[in-house]
Amino acid sequence: MRGDKKASLSSDLVVDLYSNLLAEIWGIVSELIGETILALLFTVAIRDMADKHPFLKSMEVSEDGISMHRVREACRRIPPEEVHRGFHGFITQFSNLCSALAQGVISREILPRVFPKVREAERMISQP
Amino acid sequence: MRFVFKELNVLRSTITAISTSPGVKEISESAANNLPNLFSYSSFCVFWKEGLALYLYQDESCAAPFTQEVIRNMAGVLKTLGEERVDFEKIVPRVEKRKLGPQPMLMAPRATLKSHLTLPLAVEGEMIGCISVNSDQPNAFDAQHLQFFSVIGCQMAATLEHLRRFSSVKSMATYDVLTGLYNRRYFEERLKFETERCFSYRIPLSLVMVDIDHFKKVNDTFGHPEGDMILREVASLLTKSVRKKDTVARYGGEEFILILPEADIEASSIIAERIRLLVESTLFDVGKAQLNITVSLGISSFPIHQAGSGSDLIKMADQALYDAKRKGRNRVCIFGANPGKN
Repeated sequence: MRGDKKASLSSDLVVDLYSNLLAEIWGIVSELIGETILALLFTVAIRDMADKHPFLKSMEVSEDGISMHRVREACRRIPPEEVHRGFHGFITQFSNLCSALAQGVISREILPRVFPKVREAERMISQP
Repeated sequence: MRFVFKELNVLRSTITAISTSPGVKEISESAANNLPNLFSYSSFCVFWKEGLALYLYQDESCAAPFTQEVIRNMAGVLKTLGEERVDFEKIVPRVEKRKLGPQPMLMAPRATLKSHLTLPLAVEGEMIGCISVNSDQPNAFDAQHLQFFSVIGCQMAATLEHLRRFSSVKSMATYDVLTGLYNRRYFEERLKFETERCFSYRIPLSLVMVDIDHFKKVNDTFGHPEGDMILREVASLLTKSVRKKDTVARYGGEEFILILPEADIEASSIIAERIRLLVESTLFDVGKAQLNITVSLGISSFPIHQAGSGSDLIKMADQALYDAKRKGRNRVCIFGANPGKN
C-alpha cells in the first residue's frame, strides 16, 4: 500500500516535469508554425506512440494547447519509469516529425530545453 | 526594423491575395506569386489531398531530377505524417517554371535537394494538403522563413476550407440530396431563365412532368430505403434519356420535371415516350426481388399552348399528367389533347 502511494507520488512528479516541458515546447513551436499545425503534429505523435504507451491517449490536444488532466489520472496506476519512457518516446517522435518537416529548424529550438528535463526525470526515477 | 516592416507588408499582401482566390489552383498561384518576395528558394510545391492535385512552381533552371526529388520528399513527409494512402505515382504534377528572383539562379543540372521546409495544411485537426519550399543550397531556411511560411500555409488551408464549405452550401442549394438531380429551387430559377429567353424570341419550350405510378405501394411493400433506390434509378434513367441542354429536376416526392428548351410538342413527345418505354422495360432491384414499374408523363409546350409564364407551363404539364393518371397510367399525355398516347 505504502509502495503504491510512493509510486503514484513519483509518477505525479514525472508527469509534472513533462507537463511543464510540453508546455514549454508548445510555446516555442507554436511561435514557429502556429497552433493549428502544431496540434496536428502532436496528434500524429500521440497516434504513433499510443500503442506502445497507451496512457498517451489520455493527452488532450487542441489548438488551445495540451490538457494533462486525464493523463495525470491515468499515470497514477503506472510505474514512474514507464511514464518517463512514454513521454520520452512521445517527445522523440515529435522531434522526428519536426525534423522530417523542417530539418533542424524546429529541433534546434527545442532540443536544448528537452535534454536537461529528460536527465532530471531520469534522476528522479532512479532515486531510491 | 524597416526590413521586418517590408516583409510584413509582403506577408499582408500574400494573405489578401490567397484569401480572395476563388479555387485551389488560384490559391496555390497566389502563394507562388508572392513567396519569392519573402525569401529565396528553388521550388515551391503544393499538394491538395482533395482532387489529388500537385502544383510545382520552380525556377527556370530546375532540372527534372531535382523536381523528382522534391516530389519524393513531399511523399516521404506525407508518409511520416501517416498519409500512406496517397499514391504519388498516380498524380501528374503540374509544373510551372518561372523566374523566381531578379538574379538568375543557374541551378546545376545535377543539383540535389539540400534543404526544405514542408508543412501540413491543417484545418480543425484534419490534414487537407501539404506545402513545401525547396532549395539546392544547404541550410537555406531559418526560423523566420518557417514563421512566414506557416502563416501562408495557415491562410491557404483556411481559404480552401472556406471554399469547400461554400461549395457544399451552394451544392445543397442546387441539387437534390437523394437523387443528385437539380432540386426544385434550381428548377424554378432555370425555368425563369428559359421562359424569358424562349418567350422573347418565340422559341419552343416544353415541360414534361413525370410521376412514378403506384409509388406509395412500393414504399409500403418494400420499405422506404428500397423506395429511395428506385427514385435514384429513375432519376438516372431520366438523365440518360434527355439532351445535353435539357434540365432534369426532382419536383417533389416521386415527381420529376424536365425543361426541354427548343423542343416543340413533337420533339418533347419523342423524349417523353422514350422515358416511358425505358422505365417500363427496366427491372428494378428491390432487396432480393426484381420489380417492374411504370411512369406517367404530362407535357406542356410553348408557344402552342399559349402559356403566359413559367407557372402556366407547370400548371398545364401538371394537368396533362393528371390526365395520364386518370386514363390508366403508364402513358404520355399532352395538355389539351384528349386522346392519350401509349
